[in-house]
Amino acid sequence: MSQLSLNSGLKQGVIDGLPLLGGYIPVAISFGVIAVQAGFSTLEATLISAFIYAGASQFLLVAMVASGAPLWLAVCMTLLVNVRHVVYAPNLVPYLPQSKAWPYLMHGLTDQIFALAHTCLPGMDDTNKVGWFKGVSMVAWLSWIIGTALGGIGGDSLTQQWPMLDSVMPFALPALFLVLLAPKFSSKLWSLTLLVTMTAALVLALSTFKNAAIPLAAMCGAITYYLLTLNGERKQSHAN
Amino acid sequence: MQIDIWIAIVVAAIGTYALRVGPLLWTQRHFNKHKANNTEARLPLWLSVLGPLMIAAMLGTSLIPKTPSTASWIATVIGTVVTVFIWRKTKSLGLPVFCGVLSFGIVFGLVLGADVKLPG
Repeated sequence: MSQLSLNSGLKQGVIDGLPLLGGYIPVAISFGVIAVQAGFSTLEATLISAFIYAGASQFLLVAMVASGAPLWLAVCMTLLVNVRHVVYAPNLVPYLPQSKAWPYLMHGLTDQIFALAHTCLPGMDDTNKVGWFKGVSMVAWLSWIIGTALGGIGGDSLTQQWPMLDSVMPFALPALFLVLLAPKFSSKLWSLTLLVTMTAALVLALSTFKNAAIPLAAMCGAITYYLLTLNGERKQSHAN
Repeated sequence: MQIDIWIAIVVAAIGTYALRVGPLLWTQRHFNKHKANNTEARLPLWLSVLGPLMIAAMLGTSLIPKTPSTASWIATVIGTVVTVFIWRKTKSLGLPVFCGVLSFGIVFGLVLGADVKLPG
């Protein structure tokens, strides 16, 4: 792979990763604040962000450790929240060229990076893919680490000084998901399935099942897809 | 911090990484086996369907505003409409997100301002 294509992929990855900053930095600042309030030092909070690097589960882990819950239970709950990640890499494999870098790069495979990669990689030149993934995941990872450190150092005063920023910037994430998902509304089958999944996720996240909302909603969507496909096949066989 | 808490954090970090990298290695091996046999490798249908569904589920959960209120819900609806509208016009990534966040911020600020001015 030439250095030139690696660099152009890297540059494109950094550009494509910029919308993530709006969502990552405010949440990372909140994590830094909460971790310090829970008794962790800023360095410890930052190291947690650097090495676990998984939003919701970090909040859960810190809260459980602070409340004195058994550590084995805190670890199990963290992994349970992150278990949804198992379906991400297999969905990307058909688009990944051979490279020894992929296993190392998987540390950066968060929800948002998966959504970006699943949409951008299929239309990209193979020679740019490793560089692109490095660029996009580096932007996300560094913003998460820096945000946590900022939160630990002076998060409270930051959010008090710019309360609007704290409420407005996180909209970058749903806006990004919306743009990534929009091309998939290409047929009646997919449009209905995606709408059911989104609605289920919204309702579940507003209820008491907040941490399980994503996998449960995806299951609802899968059942909808199966039923609609079955219905379509039945109609077709009746027509024949 | 106590050493046992650090051990828990290290185990959680290794476990999370394993959840991300394990399925990659397994699927790559499956694809390489098919390649060696000159057969076409395909993901199981349920797994390939789950990819877009996970993104849709993430969208659903992320639509809930950080501080739910009338102002933030109205701003969410307007921001969503603007994002989709700009995406339909440009089919690009960055501009729709930028316009969506901007419209969310403007509407949120306006409705919040109106709320504050209301008596009582």
